[in-house]
Amino acid sequence: MRSYIVFTKKELIEYGRTYKFFILFTIFIALGFMNPLTAKFMPKILESFMPEEIEIQLPPPSSLDSWAQFFKNVTQTGLFVAIIIFSGMMSREYEKGTLVNMITKGLPRQTVILSKFTASTLLWTLSYWTCFVITHIYTMYFWKGETVLELATSTLFLYLFGIMLISVLLIGSTLFKNSYGGLLFTGGFIAILFLLKLSHKIDNYNPLQLANQNINLLSGNLHPSELKSPLFVCCTVIILSIISSILIFDKKQI
Amino acid sequence: MNILTIENLSKSFGDNLVIDQMSFSVPKGSIFGFIGKNGSGKTTTMKMILGLLKPSRGTIEVCGERVKYGQTDTNRFIGYLPDVPEFYNYMTAYEYLKLCGEITGLSKKTIKDRSIELLGLVGLDHNNKRIGTFSRGMKQRLGIAQALLHEPKLLICDEPTSALDPIGRKEILDILATVRGKTTVIFSTHILSDVERICDHIGILHHGKIILSGTMQEIKKYYHQDSCLIEFSNSHDRDRFLQATTIENLESRETTDDVSVILKSQALKRMMQEIMSEMIRLDIVPVKLEILDPTLENLFLEVVK
Repeated sequence: MRSYIVFTKKELIEYGRTYKFFILFTIFIALGFMNPLTAKFMPKILESFMPEEIEIQLPPPSSLDSWAQFFKNVTQTGLFVAIIIFSGMMSREYEKGTLVNMITKGLPRQTVILSKFTASTLLWTLSYWTCFVITHIYTMYFWKGETVLELATSTLFLYLFGIMLISVLLIGSTLFKNSYGGLLFTGGFIAILFLLKLSHKIDNYNPLQLANQNINLLSGNLHPSELKSPLFVCCTVIILSIISSILIFDKKQI
Repeated sequence: MNILTIENLSKSFGDNLVIDQMSFSVPKGSIFGFIGKNGSGKTTTMKMILGLLKPSRGTIEVCGERVKYGQTDTNRFIGYLPDVPEFYNYMTAYEYLKLCGEITGLSKKTIKDRSIELLGLVGLDHNNKRIGTFSRGMKQRLGIAQALLHEPKLLICDEPTSALDPIGRKEILDILATVRGKTTVIFSTHILSDVERICDHIGILHHGKIILSGTMQEIKKYYHQDSCLIEFSNSHDRDRFLQATTIENLESRETTDDVSVILKSQALKRMMQEIMSEMIRLDIVPVKLEILDPTLENLFLEVVK
């Protein structure tokens, strides 16, 4: 247990001193502000660019637009940046040979995996929920009194989807000696999720739904209970990924 | 008592047999020079001792406990200095030692005391710069400090001096000499003068086997053979000299170039007398007549032939 805390602390110091945390956190804060602002002012901006003769009617923006921006930006920009930042978590240590000293000092191999997962998940948690809180505060300020349905559930789903990608990245990074390996592995995993959308039957279990049905949950078109199966698959993938990363790393020659 | 015992150890990578039925042991308190050419399998052997590589066959025992691949409890006895030690560049030397100490499970006070002591020993005290800015020699010295942190019974150094300049090499050897008696040291290298300076036991690795091992004195005594180098002013003189009967009867004659020859015998004094009287008889004046000391280098070249 002690070595787990020590090594997790080392991971957090690493993210801090190599500015990775700074980059990730800044981007998520920026997204947090951008989401409600874009939703609020987009119609005005569009209007100002339109030639005067053309008159288009845009519906007044609502809080739903602000959340739509949130889910779009976090999935398209936020997750993308997070994956790139975490991509070298194991392979960078392989490349440099820095783990040799730690392992020969008696650090259990599974602790390495668990600490890496904990530290990256902590960073993701902090960045994600900070972004959420900022968007939430501004949305409440711009659209007083307006409410959306199932906000907590919907954001929690996307949060879990992010953890799942981190855990899949962990396998990739443990398997390959350079960070592109981990990135490609995760990219491949996402590509498979998109392919599975083609089959309606399998899509009912597709964890990708946790990241692209969020607006339907907010607008009431979908009930959270309908996403029970994807949620189950998502949690299973997280647990299996961590276990297989430990097993792979046990056999890995460093 | 032996700190390390290796029996019938073999390792192959695919079809490539790197270590072939190797057996040797390292007695407690010694500084063991593990000598071999580049690529002879020194690092592979060390990594197997540390449980970082899986042996194809054979057993390794450290302090009487068997080494298992993967989960290596025996590493608590061992301090390891890799050939090119890599640390976390964003930490300072002290922070790194603290991390190592915490992972090993030392108490806070021990970590602090040992770190200060060791950083003093390796000359990195009062250095608050990050490791990323360190020179190679400094990293090597920090490597020794981290390896000695938990007071290991066995210190394994993989070519600690190979990449360093003469001053850096001297510093490392001096540090290793100071731990003599407290810690057993295995020290791999291909720089034979380093071995001669600090090791008391050696093992020579060649083609995956230990072809010679024992104490330095034993080996030098056993292989002791006096030899003498003669350089002539021209090859005609040399050939005339070599054709003389007394010279032809010597145990070994080795011509190195057109004008020189190395002669060997168990009885140096008699050989020298014969050489000189033969030269007077033939009226030859050599350019050089030199008695060669038995060096580890000559010995090494002889046994790996």
